[in-house]
Amino acid sequence: MSAFFPTRRRFLAASASAAALTVLPLGGVPLGGTQSGRAWAQEPVRGGRLVVAGDSEPTNLNPAIVASNGVFFVASKVIEPLAEQSYGGTDGLEPRLATSWEGSEDGLSVTFRLREGVSWHDGKPFTAADVAFSALEVWKKLQNLGRVVFRNLETVETPDDHTAIFKFSAPTPFQLIRNALPVVTSVLPAHLYRDTDIARNPANQKLVGTGPFVFAEHRPGEYFLLRRNENYWKKGEPLLDEIVYQFLPDRAAAGNALEAEEIHLAAFSAVPLADLDRISQVPGLKVHANGYEGLTYQLVVEINHRRKELADLKVRQAIAHAIDRDFVVKTIFLGYAKPAFGPIPATDPTFFEPDLPRAAFDPARAEALLDEAGYKRGDGGTRFALRLLPAPFFNETKQFGDYLRQALAKIGIDAQIVGNDTPAHLKAVYTDHDFDIAVATPVYRSDPAISTTILFQSGLPAGVPFSNQYGFADQPIDALIDQAAAEIDGARRAGLYRQLQKEVAQKLPLINVADFSFITVARDTVRNVSDNPRWAVSNWSNVWIAG
Amino acid sequence: MTGWGNIGWQARFGLLLLAALGLMALAAPLIAPGDPLALSGPPLLRPFLDAAHPLGTDRLGRDVLAGIVHGSRTTLMIALFSAAAALMFGSLIGTLSGFLGGIVDLALMRLTEAFQTVPAFLLALAAISMSGPGIPTLVFAISLGNWTQAARVTRAEVLSLRERDFVAAARVLGMRPLEIAFREILPNAFGPLVSLAAISVASAILIEAALSFLGFGDPNRVTWGSMIAEGRTVLRAAPYLSVVPGIALVATVLGVHFAGRGLALREGVSRRERVAQ
Repeated sequence: MSAFFPTRRRFLAASASAAALTVLPLGGVPLGGTQSGRAWAQEPVRGGRLVVAGDSEPTNLNPAIVASNGVFFVASKVIEPLAEQSYGGTDGLEPRLATSWEGSEDGLSVTFRLREGVSWHDGKPFTAADVAFSALEVWKKLQNLGRVVFRNLETVETPDDHTAIFKFSAPTPFQLIRNALPVVTSVLPAHLYRDTDIARNPANQKLVGTGPFVFAEHRPGEYFLLRRNENYWKKGEPLLDEIVYQFLPDRAAAGNALEAEEIHLAAFSAVPLADLDRISQVPGLKVHANGYEGLTYQLVVEINHRRKELADLKVRQAIAHAIDRDFVVKTIFLGYAKPAFGPIPATDPTFFEPDLPRAAFDPARAEALLDEAGYKRGDGGTRFALRLLPAPFFNETKQFGDYLRQALAKIGIDAQIVGNDTPAHLKAVYTDHDFDIAVATPVYRSDPAISTTILFQSGLPAGVPFSNQYGFADQPIDALIDQAAAEIDGARRAGLYRQLQKEVAQKLPLINVADFSFITVARDTVRNVSDNPRWAVSNWSNVWIAG
Repeated sequence: MTGWGNIGWQARFGLLLLAALGLMALAAPLIAPGDPLALSGPPLLRPFLDAAHPLGTDRLGRDVLAGIVHGSRTTLMIALFSAAAALMFGSLIGTLSGFLGGIVDLALMRLTEAFQTVPAFLLALAAISMSGPGIPTLVFAISLGNWTQAARVTRAEVLSLRERDFVAAARVLGMRPLEIAFREILPNAFGPLVSLAAISVASAILIEAALSFLGFGDPNRVTWGSMIAEGRTVLRAAPYLSVVPGIALVATVLGVHFAGRGLALREGVSRRERVAQ
C-alpha cells in the first residue's frame, strides 16, 4: 500500500541536508554557495518523483473514447491532443501534435499540419494516418463529446504523412472545432487499434501515446505510475522522472496527507473547501485557485416541465427568486464560485452575454409570483410539494440540496429530498424522468455547442445524461440552436449564442445558480502548477520539483 | 422483587439515562421549536458562544442542539420499532420451530442460520439500496438482520418448556397445539427475550447511525449518524460537529446496554432463586 509514501523520516532527512547545504557556505566554502542556492530555486531541476492524490480509477482510461476529467487527469500525460488550451496563445490554444490548423471559408474542411519527428512510446512513428484513424473510428463513433462535434465528419485526407485534412458533409464552424481541440482530439496509435474491437482493446488500460510520460503500471486501489518518456518530441522535457497517483485510504484525508508530506499535490478540490483556510496557513503548502478556467462546472436547478406547477413560468421565476446566490457562493462554496444567471460562464468572453435579467434574492416577490400563478398557501402554509433530487457528485451539490429545501420551504413549497447514489440518480433524472426538481452540475467545455445546447434542445432520446430530459420544448430556442450549429462565421455564431442566453434567461428551462471549478493544493516546491486553463488535465511536461 | 432497589446500580444508571433521552425526545418541539433543518444562524458557530445556539451551528447554519434533540426522536423511534419488529418476528419463528419440531424446525432453523451467516449491517445495506431510504424501509432493513437471535433464544426456551407438566395439562384440557404454543408457552419464554431486547435496541441504534452516516438514511430528517457524517468533512476545522452527536450516540447505547445488563442480571438471579425453590 505505502510503496510510494516517502516516509516522514526520509523527508526530514532530506530537509536536514538541504539546511546543511545552505549553512555550509557560511562555514567557509568560499564562492557560489548562495548563488547556486538562488539558481537552484529558479532554474528548473530535472528528475524527481511527483506524488499526487489519485482521483478515480476509470475502467476505461482511454481519453479518445471517454473524454472526462477523471480519465484526463491521468491519461493526458500519456496521450496527447492536437492542441492544448493556454493562457497566452492565439485563440487560447498552444500546439501539441498539430503545429497549425486552418479552416476553409465554406466550413467544409479543416487542415492540420502535424508535428514531425514524433514517435509513439513503442517506437513507431506518429503520422497523419493515426489522426485519420482516431478521428473517423474513435472520436466520431465512440467518444461521448466527439459524436457531437464530428457529427458531419465525412473523411480525413492525408496527402502526406504530416498533413490531415478533415472533410465535412455539412458546414461545421471552425470556431467549434478549434474550441474542442484540447478535449476531443486525443490521438491513438492506429497500429495498435486498427482491426480490433476498439472499446475492448487492452491499450485502453495500458495506454500507449506520444506524451511526455509513459504509462508504467496500475495497481488497483493503490496507484498509477507514469515514467518519463526519454524520446519526447519537446527537447528538455519532461522534467520529472515519475508521476505517481497515490490512492489515499481515506479520500477525505488529502489535506492530512499533504501536511504529513506524503503527497505533493491534490487537485480537483480533493482537499475539502472547508479545510482550505487551515491548509493555506500551513507553511510549505500553497493553494492554487486558478488552472481550471477551461473546466467550469455549473451548479443548476433542473426542472421537470412535465409537472404542471413547474410548467408555469411564474413558478420557475419564483424558485429563481427564492435562491440566495450570495449565500450559496459564500457559505457552500466558501467564496470559490461565482453567482451565475445564464448557461454560459463569464470565464468565456467569446460567448458570455453579461446583459441578462438577474433574478434577485427576493422571497416576497417569489411568494407574490406563486400567488399570481394560483398556488396559494394552503393549510399548514404549504402551496405544493416537490421531489428534490440533489446529485450526489459533490459535497456541495448535496449541501445545496439541503439549502434549496429550506429556501423553498420559506416560500411555501415543500421539497422532499430523495437521496440516491450516482447510478440511481442518473437513471431517475435522465432516463425515467422520475423527479420534480434536481440539482446538477453540467460542465461548460469552451464552446456552447459541445455540452451546453443539449441542455435546451428538444427531441433528445431518453437516457442521455446531462441533456434536456426535462420535457422542455421551445420552438424559438430549438431554431436558434440549429441556426448556430450551421453558422460558420465566428462573430455571427457568438451573436446567436448570446441571443440564446437571453432566451434561456427569460424562459428559465433550468435555473443557473453558480459557476464553480476546483482548487489545487500543492507543496510550494512543486513548480509550474496551474499554468494553463486546463492544468490538472494537461500534460505536466514542464512541472518540476525544487529542492 | 421488582422494586427500584432490587435492580443494581447498572440498571438504575441505564434506566435514568434512557428516561432522560426519552424525555428529550418527547419534549423536542418545546426545546427546539420549528424545523431542525432550518438555516437558523450564521454557519460554523462554535458551541457555548451564543445563547440562541448553545451547541453551535453546522456548515449551513443549522442549530446543532435542534439536530441532537430531534435526532433523538428519529433514532429512538427507528431503534424501538425495529427491535420490536425483530423480537416479534423472531419469537414467532422460534416458538413455531421449537414447538412443532421435526421438519418445520429443521427448515426454520436452516433459514435462521442463513440469515445469521450474513452480517446484520450488510443485510440492512442491501435492503436499503434495493428499496430506497425512508423510515419504514429503515425499520424493515434493520430488523432483517436482528431477528435471528430472538428466534434462537425463543426456540431454546420453548424446547425446555414444552416438556413441562402445565403443557401436558393444557393438552389434556383439549387446547389446540398452536393455542398452547402461543398462549401457554410463549408468555413463559419471554424472560430471556427481555434482556435480549436491550441488545437488539443497541444494535439497531448503531446500524441506523451507520446507515445514516453512509447517506442511506432519510435525508429529510436529522439523525445523529447523518450529523456525524456531515461534520466529518470539517473534522479538523470544527470537530464539535461530529463530537456532539457522537457523545449522544455513545450515551444512548451505554444507557441501553446498562439497563439491559442490569435486567439480565436480575433475570439470572430470580431464575436461580426459582430453581433453588
